[in-house]
Formats: sequence, structure tokens, C-alpha cells
Amino acid sequence: MMKNTNNNDMFDYVIVGAGIVGSSIFSALARSGKSVCMIDKALDVGTGAAKANSGLVHAGFDAKPGTLKAKLNVLGNKMYPLEAKRLGLSIKKTGAYVVGNDKEKLEELLARGKTNGVDGLHLLSGSELKAKLPMLNPEIKYALFAENAYVISPYMFTICLAEEGIVNGGRVVLGFDAKRIKKHGDIFTISDGFDEIKTKYIINSSGAGYNEIANMIGSEIYELEFRRGEYFVLDSTEKNLVPSTVFPLPSKAGKGVLVTPTVDGNILVGPSSQLSDDITKTTAEGLSFVRSQASNMIPSINFKKTIRIFSGIRTVVGDDFVIEKSREMPNVINIAGICSPGLSAAPAIALYVLNLLGLDTKIPAAKKIKPYVALSSLPVSKKNELIARNPLYGKIVCKCEGISEGEIVDALSRPLRVVSVDGIKRRTRTGMGRCQGGFCLSKTIELIAKKNNITLFDVVKENKGSNIIVSGVKKS
Amino acid sequence: MRQTDVVVIGGGPAGMAAAIESARNGAKTIIIERNEVLGGILMQCIHNGFGLAYFKEELTGPEYAYKFRELVKKEKNITVMTSTFVTKIKGKTVTIVNSSGIDEIEAGAIVLAMGARERTAANILLQGTRPAGVLTAGQAQKMTNIDGKLPGKNIVILGSGDIGLIMARRLTLEGARVKAVLEINKTTSGLKRNIVQCLEDFKIPLLMQTTIVEVVGENRVEGVYISAVDDNYNFVGEKKFVKCDTVILSVGLIPETDLVDFADINTRTNGPVVDDFMETSAKGVFACGNFLHVHDLVDNVTLESMDAGANAADFALAGCKKGKKFCVIAGNNISYANPSFVHSGDGIAKIRFRLKSNVSKKWIRVVSKDEVLAKKFVMAGLPGEMQTLEVSREKIKGDILLEVEG
Ligand SMILES: Cc1cc2nc3c(=O)[nH]c(=O)nc-3n(C[C@H](O)[C@H](O)[C@H](O)COP(=O)(O)OP(=O)(O)OC[C@H]3O[C@@H](n4cnc5c(N)ncnc54)[C@H](O)[C@@H]3O)c2cc1C
Ligand SMILES: Cc1cc2nc3c(=O)[nH]c(=O)nc-3n(C[C@H](O)[C@H](O)[C@H](O)COP(=O)(O)OP(=O)(O)OC[C@H]3O[C@@H](n4cnc5c(N)ncnc54)[C@H](O)[C@@H]3O)c2cc1C
Repeated sequence: MMKNTNNNDMFDYVIVGAGIVGSSIFSALARSGKSVCMIDKALDVGTGAAKANSGLVHAGFDAKPGTLKAKLNVLGNKMYPLEAKRLGLSIKKTGAYVVGNDKEKLEELLARGKTNGVDGLHLLSGSELKAKLPMLNPEIKYALFAENAYVISPYMFTICLAEEGIVNGGRVVLGFDAKRIKKHGDIFTISDGFDEIKTKYIINSSGAGYNEIANMIGSEIYELEFRRGEYFVLDSTEKNLVPSTVFPLPSKAGKGVLVTPTVDGNILVGPSSQLSDDITKTTAEGLSFVRSQASNMIPSINFKKTIRIFSGIRTVVGDDFVIEKSREMPNVINIAGICSPGLSAAPAIALYVLNLLGLDTKIPAAKKIKPYVALSSLPVSKKNELIARNPLYGKIVCKCEGISEGEIVDALSRPLRVVSVDGIKRRTRTGMGRCQGGFCLSKTIELIAKKNNITLFDVVKENKGSNIIVSGVKKS
Repeated sequence: MRQTDVVVIGGGPAGMAAAIESARNGAKTIIIERNEVLGGILMQCIHNGFGLAYFKEELTGPEYAYKFRELVKKEKNITVMTSTFVTKIKGKTVTIVNSSGIDEIEAGAIVLAMGARERTAANILLQGTRPAGVLTAGQAQKMTNIDGKLPGKNIVILGSGDIGLIMARRLTLEGARVKAVLEINKTTSGLKRNIVQCLEDFKIPLLMQTTIVEVVGENRVEGVYISAVDDNYNFVGEKKFVKCDTVILSVGLIPETDLVDFADINTRTNGPVVDDFMETSAKGVFACGNFLHVHDLVDNVTLESMDAGANAADFALAGCKKGKKFCVIAGNNISYANPSFVHSGDGIAKIRFRLKSNVSKKWIRVVSKDEVLAKKFVMAGLPGEMQTLEVSREKIKGDILLEVEG
């Protein structure tokens, strides 16, 4: 591994954990002109809960009024269209339905939504519902429709925020597995056993790793509960299954198993909600639960079209988010238990943290990142222009998603270094389609190695130790 | 926009054979291949066993492909476009992209020869963690034979498909340890000769009616829990942990039909529905090779695809003349039959099919209205092997039934 830091690297703010929350704060601080560094033990940003969730920007009607969850979700929701625009990221206003036969419960949700300040809520039934959701199980009679619900790519959002922070002067250090945090005077020194980073403030947004970091700092420890959520991703051939997100009525365990289009044109079905350790595995129980719950709502789901199964871990602390100044240790911000709707709330969480730090929440206009360009989304004339400028855009590497070598090389030439196949997959969708990299894996590994000037053996799937190639063949 | 008589999509053995026959029948033919060279999947199959039937000699995959590339070169009527990817097929217009940009080709007829993709871990809902070290047999094959790199040292292979069997041998020769090949069914899906030459000769255990319960390992595979299953695929007995760093899947191929939403798909083969002219339900669009149904022998691919190419040329130049259309029904112990429809008239209709279970010393026959139109005697037939029966079209006067006697 290359050396990550220069000795005596000194920052005003260090963010531990480069998830959605960490990256939102990172970008906000960098755009505000602050000296900031974000570290993560992983080799890419967004490899925790950021990469394994439903990708929904909730309208905000089901959080309990008065909670941080309610307040920050509703504010975050309003911020999202502009956030996406600033980052050049696609966002789709798909709307969301909560469906069920308990009309009273739905009316309660509607009222709660109004209290939370959510606009665009409608109660539907009968022929109106049937016209909007003809694929819904006909035994289900009512729905609450929320206009202002969106789908986005949660990992692309995280990546773009991290890049934005970098182009505005912030620093990201990956593969930095914090082992010790010491304080001398006003200065914290964070060490991974090899390198040291110094800072005046620490923001602990390390998700599932919160307590580990809090222990090193000497800040508050919380009882964390881990809940695993398992999903099916269906082939883009199924993209017309549902026009919007469809949820069942929420329960104590969460928002329930939903069926939703993704921003990239697949269908996502899940999640389950099982108490677990923090290992992101899939299980027979989880998947069969998801399958039966979802089929109850949308009987026509074709699970034979599954192209991927995955799971993510929610980190839960009681009933609300914890976002606070540490009482035990000055100049530390604790961020714990950011489960759903953490993605939806992330932009608002960043502002909330600026406020806790005593900074101005009005962020000045700042440098923009170069938007990611997907060849397949361009009109023919633009495609031809791009290929004329760089013929690599005419060389298709990933056949399922139609991704060109030009797009992969671009992803490898951006502000954040990418050394993993999954990192390329998240940025370009290479290997995300129905063959799951069957045809393009070798080429992707080769391009990553070449661009980073490392050997093929050093290319990893995701984290340290996930090397794909173990040795060469015998010389003949 | 360009124009031509026939466009062949896919430059594997199927596409090459189709293009050659199309050109020989007088049609101006363009063959489009996404890779840099023609040859398709053959380019990574460096083992012997290709061409015994067609060339009467034992060739490696790349050698077989080379022979066909030379034949393609000889045909003045063929234009080869490599490093070119087809993104859309609409009517008889094909949209392509390559380093010169986007273009369209308008053809009189189209031959679809895009081959098949491998079924993935998600297709079989492989459970557990998702670390590095889980890959398909074709990925492993490409890595080993083309890139000269090994995907692992201690390997468990799931599925007894041919590519997995061949990779068991290949990786063993490279010094890796193949701990076991697991097959969930009672019968293997690979060819008998591969079981003997790739597993038995190397003492690699083949565990029948066994599968993976769970993959373990956070960054790299650390092992798998395996279990026996009953006839309904329920786990039976105790699960066992097998330490390994790699899981290779050889669990079948699926025809690459993503571009084809305009033709009917056969739910048995996952390829398009065709008639005895290899024509799909879309007029003037023909199909062959692994795109039509998964083949175990390249020689069969070649023969089938030559017919498709010749018929496509006929269609583009003069229009196929067909008699009355009848159904082909898969009867006793027949897993599927291709084509789905035959016609009366001149010439021969070839029926290609697979058996449901092992057959020994039995007649297989084609019957129509109580008349036996064709039959053949099978000494030992396995589901893994494709069979062929030829029926003279002049005998066809109604729907035909294909069955194993008794
Ligand atoms: C199944 C599921 C579905 C969800 N669906 C939605 C939804 O549709 N809408 C919505 O709004 N929210 C949803 N959420 C919630 C949302 O995904 C989370 O709230 C959000 O991702 C949390 O972000 P985070 O940055 O706190 O955590 P993470 O993204 O997990 O980031 C934490 C980071 O800290 C790093 N880290 C941990 N320990 C250390 C250490 N010791 N040193 C250095 N770095 C460390 C990790 O590598 C990781 O990158 C869902 C969550 C789950 C699990
Ligand atoms: C690993 C393996 C081992 C085998 N071993 C043997 C053996 O020992 N003996 C034997 O006789 N047979 C063997 N076979 C069987 C036989 O070789 C195959 O069935 C045969 O190669 C299939 O030929 P095909 O042309 O249909 O498909 P492919 O060879 O897969 O060719 C399809 C081509 O189409 C191209 N293509 C696809 N989509 C597009 C697009 N959109 N635009 C442009 N181009 C496209 C692909 O790049 C590919 O080159 C083996 C097969 C495999 C996979």
C-alpha cells in the first residue's frame, strides 16, 4: 500500500467514516473553506451502509413528530433535487405508495406527515388506486401516495460528495484503519499504527464502527443494535414492474419489504429486518421472507429475473438518531444510530453538524465536480462526438450495461483513487448487469492495474485481502 | 447507414459458419463481433476435443476457430467487423458502436449468433457473504488461459457442467487443489468423457446430490458449508465445512437474448422459438449456436449454423419457400426439441433434442398420425448430450411427436 499521509498532517476537522453522512459533512466543510480530512478503513468511500440500502429519499411522513429523524428527513428531502443537480447526479421523482387495508393507520400516517411538514400526500382507493397501481394485489384496498419521494444511487451520491470535498480543498485518506486516538492539549492524534493525522475536531460518523472509535476517543458509548436487510435486484427487463416505490404499512421492525424502481432502471425488492451481528451475508430465511412479503403486495414479481442478492446492516440506537456534541470529550461530534432515513436526511445532517460546530450553515457557491457521463444515456449525436474525441468510448467492455472503456478510464482518472473492481462497478455500472462481470472482469482488472501502476495481483474486489488473482500460471 | 443482404451478429463458431454459408449462397454478408478477433468462446478453450466430427481430427478451440477464420477470409462476399458491438436490433436494422462511432446497418435478413452467458451466483441464489474468490467457470477459464493468472489455490466447484469439469483439470495441472465438485442433481450435466478425463483421472471427488449452503469469508472466500440434498432439493443430514479460497460455479449457460424482445422465447431453452428453417417468430430473423440452445459440441454448432446462414441468404435474395406448418411435440423422456415447428415440402428437417434422463438400448422415434417418420437406436444416451434426428419433409403431414420408445 502506498503511504497515505505526510507526517504532521494537521487539520481543523477530521471525519472518521466515509459513508453518506461523513461525506455529506466533508463536502459541506470543504465548500465552507475549512481545513478538513475524511478517513475510512475501507479502500473506497461508501462501502458500509451507503452501498447497501434501498436508495430512497423518503418524503418523511412516518418518522415520529419532533424527532431528529422527522426533522432532518423532511429538510433533507427538500434539499435533494438541488444536491443532485449540483453534483450532476441523476435523481428520479418516482413517488411512493404505502399500501394496506387498515384505512385508519393510513390516515394516521397522513396526519403524521402533515405534522412533520410533508406536502403532496394523498389517500387513494378504488378505481383511482387501480389505475395508478394496476399490478397491486387486488385484495389491497387503500394507499397513501407521497409525491415527493425520490430514488437515487446512494453510493454515487457518496462518491460525488467525497470528490466535491476534494476539489474544494478537502483531503480523503482511505485504507486508514484507526487504531489509537490520543489528545495532547487541544490536538487529537489519530494513528493507524503506520501514519498519524492531527486535528482539532473529530466527527465520528463511522456507522457500525461508532463504538470502536468512541472508545479510542473517550467519548460516549451507545448500545448499538444491528439489523440486517437482504435484497433481490431484478434485471432491467423488469423495469416496468412498478412505476413508484411500493411499501406495506410500517411496523416496529421498520418500513417493511418494499418494491421499487432504482434510478438505474432495475427493480429492488427488500429489505428483510433481522437482528444480527454486523456481517453482510444473505440467508435462506431472509430471502424467503422478502420473497413472500413482496409477492403479497405485487403478485407478478418474477424472481427468476434476479441478477444479484445482497444485504446491508442498519445501525440502530433506540428510537432516534444521535447527533450531538460529546459531553465527555470537548471538540468531538458523536453521530450514531443513523439507520433509515439516514440517506434521506444526510444533507440536512451536514447542516445540523455545521451548526453544532458553530459554523455558518449558509454554504457559499463552490467548485463543481466534473459530472459522470454514461455513454448509454446520451443521444446519438453526443455519443458520436464523444467517440470522435476519444475512440475508447466506442470500445464496449461491459456488454450487459453497454459501458465503454472510455467510461472506465474516466472513473480511474478522477479526484479519488480507485483500486477495486467494486469501486469501478459502483462508478460505471461495469459488471452490474445480468452477467455480473462474467465477460468484463479480466478487462476491468487490467485497466485498474494499468491506471494505478500496480500489478494485477494487487487489484482487489473491495477491501484489503479481497485480491482476485492469486498467482500466475506455470511457465511452459 | 449501410446496406447488405445478411447481417450475422456474433463471430463465434456459429456466426462464422452462418456467414460462410450465407456468402456461398450469393448473399453479401456482414459479420459483427464485439471482440478483437473472431472465435467467440473457443478462444479460451485451449483443451482438445473440437472438430472430431466436422474436421475428423482433434483440435483445440483456438485451432478450430483459426480454421474457420481462414474459411471466412476466402469468401469475397463477407465483410468482417470486429471490436464492434450491436446495441439494438429493430426490424431488420442493426445499430452498432465501435471506435468510429454509432452506425446502422439495414439488412435483408439477420442471423442471431450471440452465444450464451453463464448463470451466476445470483441466478442460483448462492447464500452467505459475497467475498472475492467466487467466480464462474468461464471467468476462471479466461483468467487462466488468456490472462495466464490463477483465481485460487484451494477450490470447490459447484455444478458438473463441462466448463467446470475442464477447469477442474486445468487448475489441478496448474498446481491448485480442487477439493470437490458438487452436483445438486442425481445426474451430471457434463459429458461422460469429461467426468472420466477431468475428474476420475485426477482423483477429484464428485459429490452427487450435494450443494453449497453458505459461503463464508469477509474479504476472500474462507470456506463453504456444504450439505446433501434429497430429490426435492431439501437439505438432509448435517452440513459440513470445507475450507477453500475459491468457489467456481459451473451451473449452466443462458442464451444471450437481451437484445431480442421482438421474437418469442422458448421457456425450456431460454433461446428463441424457431422453425425448421431456423427462422424465429420475427420474419427474416434466424438463430443458431448457443444463442438458440446450449450446445456441448462445436461440430453441431457449425452444422446447425450453416443451415441458418443458407436459409438467411435465401430469404434475403428470394424469400424462403415453405410448405404447411406443424408443431413439434416433445414426448416421453425428451427434455426439449428444437425446432418448435416444422414444414411440409422438400428437403430435410433436422430435429435436435436432449433426453430427460439416461437412456440405454432404446429406440427414439418421430411419429405423426401413427406413422413412424424417422427413428434411431441409442446404446447409451445422457441428458448432457445433444441428439439429432432427420425427417424428410415430404413425409410431414401433421404435428409430429418425438419420443423414447417404451
Ligand atoms: C437495509 C437498509 C435499507 C435502507 N434504506 C434506506 C432508504 O431507502 N432511505 C434512507 O434514507 N435510508 C436508508 N437506510 C439508511 C441509510 O442507508 C443509512 O442511514 C446511511 O447509509 C448511514 O450512513 P453512515 O454514513 O452513517 O454509515 P455508513 O455508510 O455505514 O458509513 C460508515 C463508514 O465508517 C467506516 N468505518 C467504520 N469503522 C471505522 C473505523 N474503525 N475506522 C475508519 N472507518 C470506519 C466504514 O467503513 C463506513 O464507510 C437503509 C439502511 C439499510 C441498512
Ligand atoms: C468452456 C467450454 C468448453 C467447451 N468444450 C468443448 C469441446 O471440448 N468440444 C466441443 O466440440 N465443444 C465444446 N464446447 C461447446 C462449443 O464450443 C460451444 O457451444 C460453441 O463455441 C458455441 O458457439 P457460438 O458461436 O454459438 O457462441 P460463442 O462462441 O459464445 O460466440 C458468440 C459470439 O457473439 C459475440 N457477441 C455476443 N453479443 C454480441 C453483440 N451484442 N454484438 C457483437 N457481438 C456479440 C460474442 O462476443 C461471441 O464472440 C465448449 C464450450 C465451452 C463454453
